[in-house]
Amino acid sequence: MDYQQDFAKEVYEKVDSGAEIKVCMQCGVCASTCPLREKMKYSPRKLWTLIRAGRRQEVLNCPDIMLCTSCYTCKVRCPRGIPVIDVMHGLAHYALEKGITPREETKKFGEAFWDSIYETGRVDEATVPIKYCLKDGMIAGLKKSLSMLDIGMALMKAKRLTPKLFIPPNFFIPGSHKIKGLKDLQKMLDKAKAMGARKEG
Amino acid sequence: MSKKICGYICKGCGIGDALNTAKLAKAAGEQGVKEFKEHDVLCSPEGVAMIQADVDAGYNALLIAACSSRVKTDEFAFGSQVLVERVSLREQVVWGLSEADEEDTLMAGEDYMRMGAIKLSKSEPPTPYQLEGEVAKAVLVVGGGVAGMNAALAAAKAGSQVILVEKEAQLGGFLGKMAKLGPQTPPYRALEDTKVDELVGKVSGLDQIKVYTGTTIDKTEGAPGNFTVSLSNGEQVRAGAIIQATGWLPYDPENLKDELAYGSNPNIVTNVQFEEKAKTGDLSGINAIAFVQCAGSRDQNHLPYCSAFCCLVSCKQAMYVKAANPEASVYVVYKDVRTPSQSEEVYREAQRQGVIFIRRDETYPSISGSGKLTLTTKDVLLNEQVDLEDLDMVVLATGMKPNNPKVVDAPLVAFGEDQEKAKQMTEEAKAQNEDWSILNLAYRQGPNLPTLKYAMPDSHFICFPYESRRTGIYTAGTVRRPMRVSQAQEDGVGAAMKAVQVIRAAEVGCAVHPRSGDETFPEFAMQRCTQCKRCTEECPFGAINEDDKANPLPNPTRCRRCGVCMGACPERIISFKNYSVDIVGSQIKSIEVPEEDEEKPRAVILVCENDALPVIDMAARMGKTWSPYFRFINVRCLGSVNLVWIADALSKGIDGVGLFGCRRGEDYQCHFIKGSEIANVRMSKISETLTRLALESDRIKVSEVGINEVETLMDILKSFQDTIDTVGPNPYKGF
Ligand code: SF4
Ligand code: SF4
Ligand code: SF4
Ligand code: SF4
Repeated sequence: MDYQQDFAKEVYEKVDSGAEIKVCMQCGVCASTCPLREKMKYSPRKLWTLIRAGRRQEVLNCPDIMLCTSCYTCKVRCPRGIPVIDVMHGLAHYALEKGITPREETKKFGEAFWDSIYETGRVDEATVPIKYCLKDGMIAGLKKSLSMLDIGMALMKAKRLTPKLFIPPNFFIPGSHKIKGLKDLQKMLDKAKAMGARKEG
Repeated sequence: MSKKICGYICKGCGIGDALNTAKLAKAAGEQGVKEFKEHDVLCSPEGVAMIQADVDAGYNALLIAACSSRVKTDEFAFGSQVLVERVSLREQVVWGLSEADEEDTLMAGEDYMRMGAIKLSKSEPPTPYQLEGEVAKAVLVVGGGVAGMNAALAAAKAGSQVILVEKEAQLGGFLGKMAKLGPQTPPYRALEDTKVDELVGKVSGLDQIKVYTGTTIDKTEGAPGNFTVSLSNGEQVRAGAIIQATGWLPYDPENLKDELAYGSNPNIVTNVQFEEKAKTGDLSGINAIAFVQCAGSRDQNHLPYCSAFCCLVSCKQAMYVKAANPEASVYVVYKDVRTPSQSEEVYREAQRQGVIFIRRDETYPSISGSGKLTLTTKDVLLNEQVDLEDLDMVVLATGMKPNNPKVVDAPLVAFGEDQEKAKQMTEEAKAQNEDWSILNLAYRQGPNLPTLKYAMPDSHFICFPYESRRTGIYTAGTVRRPMRVSQAQEDGVGAAMKAVQVIRAAEVGCAVHPRSGDETFPEFAMQRCTQCKRCTEECPFGAINEDDKANPLPNPTRCRRCGVCMGACPERIISFKNYSVDIVGSQIKSIEVPEEDEEKPRAVILVCENDALPVIDMAARMGKTWSPYFRFINVRCLGSVNLVWIADALSKGIDGVGLFGCRRGEDYQCHFIKGSEIANVRMSKISETLTRLALESDRIKVSEVGINEVETLMDILKSFQDTIDTVGPNPYKGF
């Protein structure tokens, strides 16, 4: 039996902004607008249909929900005013919370990102990717970073990445990179995390 | 009344620079306008005052050679007893011929002056037609539903007496059968009470409105301002105008037995049946329900059109179910959700309440089950086949049919048609007519309003929405086209305003749209009538009956002044005071046709005033130019073109005749509905005659042009010019 409403109700109630997708009219603007559309198996539009159709496993395991780059285009363009991006992230969170990892790489990158913020109070284009690569271990990590060399060069060209970041002591001396008042930031982040957990709970 | 004629030439807008006004005046003088005045800006207060002074001094026929007759209409109006003829020097000569040489431009200007002058000389001021006896001022409204009741209230508010006839025992129509009304007020989320009792109370409470329930119409005779209507209760009432607001018939679900299993399970119901359940019963027992949209709509085998209300109704009915049982699973299986304007908010609200919309393709879902139902459909959004099981009910969202009998127009019988064949074609068309009636019109042209498609009464949809092809009888609400309650309310008001106007027009003795205010009407020189009946048959508005001696019997208040009868009459006995076969024929004859060796061809273009003339004006305004060999003559409608004009033109040596008018056919834009089509049929019949006279049929060209189609117009003009160059001079030149 298709279109059992249990999963849809679960999403409406438990997922951040989940209830907003009720008014989706399946126009496909989000799908045609998303820069990641070619990497996605489904699109936001079709994910909402799958939710309505009660396809819990398919949705929560779908890597698409962790592919969103937070570009906000969909949210800006949706004629029904649905915060598509928020629902995408909401679904990803919800899946992780339920012990499902829809997309391993995104999870790793997210952790690297979080760790960087939590530990130094900063994110930059050098540390986060390196942390991300090293999550696979030293050798595999090196391989992965080499495979991303072209991206690195492009970033450098665009002045988003400076080679200075790789030069000691910046990189090798722990703590040289931290912000002032890191402790206070950590307190804030802890509190935010607790609030989030309470909401989803 | 004796005519005192004076001409005026404006020298503003570049006219004075481009044309020798003395020569223009001289040309007009040849055709009877001897006195002339000039002014630098004729439309200025001083210019108008100069003309007014002449009018005050007794001048009553004015030739105004300035700009197009479509502009400055207020400035150059001096009351209905002062004839005004406009010569469009600015648009048709100065602007449109700005690339031509001086000689050609002047020749065109002189010709337009001659044509204007001869028309003015031959025109007479109108004597408005007056009905015998007192004009009936009551408005008869047939149908007491939303549109009918709103029409009655609006007409009453405008000061009219109203007679409201309803066939059922009480007023209310479908509104009275509804459980709730969709949202009517911002933010358009909550269902509302129908408030039908309040509306019925308002209508019944007014002294001005006389209500007959349980009553139908046996016979409708007469014309606007003078209808006599026999009711089924034996009474006879008089009315000045009629509004048919007879509503709609639900599409018959028996036709959906095969496609949607209607009848196989009592829980497969239509939206109308479900509404009744919602009104009388309790819906809280429904745990799962599916609505199937477009049940027999937008389907060539059933209703080919969208009824534009069933999507909204399903959203509303889904909300009924959710209100009774919020946990119920409610599905709407649709092709496209069509909820225009505020209905979109209702769609959204249904979604907010958790209604699930599933998109299907063109194939109908299959519905089965003896107790609980299962619906299987292709889900285009998932691209899979899906099953909805354990449904307590399936609602078929069926469409609307107008509550009006279908009338098929007999094919146009025109010149040259084999009479036997024509008769047979007419019989065949008549056989398709539905043989029941609402108004039972005692018209020679049949008891019902002519319909265009799907039994919806024919009207010029864009410009004159409420009109029918029987003047003084208007349609409102869902009989006209499918619509929602809020639209039917407005429709009733709109039709009431039309009804009030037509009664006033009958009192004054003038035409209603599109020639509103025109006080001329067709006059018949009956001694010469051969009883051929072409006028009676071809009048698009059924204005002409037949008397006991089989003579045509015109009903001037039914007449729209199109002149189609004038174009039809082979004896040329029909004419208006300022528009006749003789007048236009004389205009054509007043054109100077240069000798063949001068190599200046001439083509007359008969221009319909409704759309073709405005587009010529617009082209001129936009700086477009055309050949100085064309001469435009305004006509009321292409249908008013009498074939003798073609003969007049060709025998005078004119090289070609064009007819520019509105679009014809199914999506016609002809302001007189059939005029453009009739012209086309007539012209197609004369090519034979032309060949007999050794003339190329290419010399005659009928073209359709929309009011905004400047480019199309330019293409038509260009290609017509090429044709004339190709076929060469008319061999009758100089005879
Ligand atoms: S915000 Fe995410 S889902 Fe939306 S368009 Fe951008 S990448 Fe796609
Ligand atoms: S753009 Fe909005 S309404 Fe359209 S499919 Fe995407 S989420 Fe739905
Ligand atoms: S309103 Fe909706 S259900 Fe009705 S015919 Fe149109 S699309 Fe179909
Ligand atoms: S054809 Fe036109 S002008 Fe003639 S009677 Fe009919 S409506 Fe009047």
